[in-house]
Amino acid sequence: MKKKFLAAFLCVAMTATMFAGCGDKKDEPAADSNGTTDTTAADDNANQEGETSDANVAVFYYTFADTYIASVRTALDAKLEEMGITYQDYDSNNSQTTQNEQIDTAIQTGANLLIVNIVTSGSVEASQTIVDKANAAGVPVIFFNRAVEDADTEGQVLGSYANCAFVGTDAPEAGHMQGQMIGEYLVENFDKVDLNGDGKISYAMMMGELGNAEAIARTQFGVEDANKVLVEAGKAELEYFDTASPDKYQVDKEGKWSAQAATEYMNTNLSQFNEGNNNMIELVICNNDGMAEGVITSLNDKGYNTGDDKFIPVFGVDATDAAKQLIADGKMVGTIKQDAEGMADCIAFLTGNVSGGKELMDGTDGYNIAPNVSNKIYIPYAAYTGE
Amino acid sequence: MKVVENMKNRYAAYQELDSKDKKTFWKETLLNNALYILLIVAVIYTYTRNNQFLTIGSIMNIISLSAAYLPIACGIAGCIVLTGTDLSAGRVVGLTACISASLLQSMDYATRMYGDMPVLPIPLVILIVIAVGGLIGLVNGFFVAKFGLHPFIVTLATQLITYGLLMMYIMSNGNNGQPLSGLDSSFKSFVTGSFVGIGGVPIPNYVWYAVIIVILMWFVWNKTTFGKNMFAVGSNPEAANVSGVNVMRTTILVHTLAGAMYGITGFIESARIGSNSAGTGLNYECDAIAACVIGGVSFVGGTGKISGVVLGIFILRIIFGALIFLSIDQNWQFVIKGLIILVACAIDMRKYLVRK
Repeated sequence: MKKKFLAAFLCVAMTATMFAGCGDKKDEPAADSNGTTDTTAADDNANQEGETSDANVAVFYYTFADTYIASVRTALDAKLEEMGITYQDYDSNNSQTTQNEQIDTAIQTGANLLIVNIVTSGSVEASQTIVDKANAAGVPVIFFNRAVEDADTEGQVLGSYANCAFVGTDAPEAGHMQGQMIGEYLVENFDKVDLNGDGKISYAMMMGELGNAEAIARTQFGVEDANKVLVEAGKAELEYFDTASPDKYQVDKEGKWSAQAATEYMNTNLSQFNEGNNNMIELVICNNDGMAEGVITSLNDKGYNTGDDKFIPVFGVDATDAAKQLIADGKMVGTIKQDAEGMADCIAFLTGNVSGGKELMDGTDGYNIAPNVSNKIYIPYAAYTGE
Repeated sequence: MKVVENMKNRYAAYQELDSKDKKTFWKETLLNNALYILLIVAVIYTYTRNNQFLTIGSIMNIISLSAAYLPIACGIAGCIVLTGTDLSAGRVVGLTACISASLLQSMDYATRMYGDMPVLPIPLVILIVIAVGGLIGLVNGFFVAKFGLHPFIVTLATQLITYGLLMMYIMSNGNNGQPLSGLDSSFKSFVTGSFVGIGGVPIPNYVWYAVIIVILMWFVWNKTTFGKNMFAVGSNPEAANVSGVNVMRTTILVHTLAGAMYGITGFIESARIGSNSAGTGLNYECDAIAACVIGGVSFVGGTGKISGVVLGIFILRIIFGALIFLSIDQNWQFVIKGLIILVACAIDMRKYLVRK
């Protein structure tokens, strides 16, 4: 009997030291730069950098698997570590239920700031639930990247709780910028792009996910804004390559914005629509760079976009490293850059406000704030067509 | 000549039936082959609506799409023969795809995962992915065989573990979750290049690799002791054990072989898609399992043919292709896929019930 107790005790002790080890590691940089004890830091916690604060931050990512989100995570982890703030990252694995449960758990563990990359984007119900949880626990919440409300319900959630903020992008902006970029490119290269010379450009559209606010906006404005530019220049509007299709887009049915879905669609499309049949797809618009890469893989197999004259313009969004390389190699035309560093910087700034005991939105005048909602910060997109 | 003789015999037997039996004979034949009949109808219908469907380019597209999914289906079929399943397959494909991509990135690609390390020789990478896939399969098989756990549970666990490893891998070495692309041209041409074509349409190399895999698996299933043992264990493990089959070893080997197949699928997918991220391979096992059951590899255990697996894969791909050619609303793909699985399994079980 005694032996068993001893074994159990040793196990518990071992686990405890393991966890203690983890905790220490995160506080390390602060202790190094600080040199003083924690109590003094807590007394005058107005300082933001180099001080250990009592902030205990919980960060929820909609999924670790997302390329862009992974770069935000890397940048934000580095920032928080530099500021000496204790934080814990959660992977919600693309499930709103999981995320809500994780938030409950985090509040129980004593988190006093929630940073949430919501799973169900643009849904008032989902974001209101989280705000209510935060409100009940009396902790501030910062949403980022994925929209918490759509255009019709703007301010409904963010206006309901003083201690919340949104750091993200203006969802339609990427679509508008992409459309503008496409329009301008086509006006300049119209005859070269119009392979069969029928005076119209036939395009394919790769959509990342059904029902996602960003994907919807990009799918819509990527074409509409390009058409505007084309019409202004006296050219015909874009025409979807498969005139019989009711959708005018091809969507990744699993909603993962994947290169694989794009490759397979494009392979099938090209077996029917090609130069041999004089109905080649002359332009491909993609919701993100992953899908653009997939499309280019498929085009490469058919001898297009390998760096010579046979070229179909492909556009994406995100400016991933891979896409930048493709643009540099002349295999892709352009993309829209989402600023991961800028987003992480802004979130870290707000976190500093909270840990410093200031108002959440203190000193954010320099940021681009939404016209109608005072606690919604937009990180601007930028067009990228090579350096 | 045997075939002709067989047909003659069968025809003679048919002649001997009275009119009522003849009727049931036709009914049975129709029902048992309902899937193929539907498939032929679907192909003809699609062709009449859009005659691009049966061009060489389109047929080649369906063949190459099917080829890409063949190795994983051949692997998973073994697990199903043992009345099991394998949920980890998709994630293993993802992990091995990312490993292949990271080891075979071209030297001039700006954000290589392994800085200045030279591009590894392709055969070595194939061995590595087979080893990684095989290892995960070995773990699956070991827990199934040793502790008698249901494969559903074991592979659910390894699916999660593999996903975790995959994410750690893709975040490591400063890659920070960026997609792994910029593959070396030798790798691309090894997989997606082609040395022969039909009517000006090139046949990608991975179609040949799939053919080799299918022949290999056919040989393993039909001509080796291991294959016979697999079916024996699948239909009745106790009986197999009593008749001297090493059930544990067979189970472990079937899973290991399946894992190796996922590794090969990952290797091919890596170059076929060209961009590999943590999402690569997600839900691949669903299509593979669906193809197996459509092709008559029964969850009852102990029955199934490699030719059935191939057919199952083709049926799925032909239907998906046809839906795009018919410009049908994409949501229907899910409904139709579900219906096919349901009908196929019902027909399969019906045969089994009749025999009982």
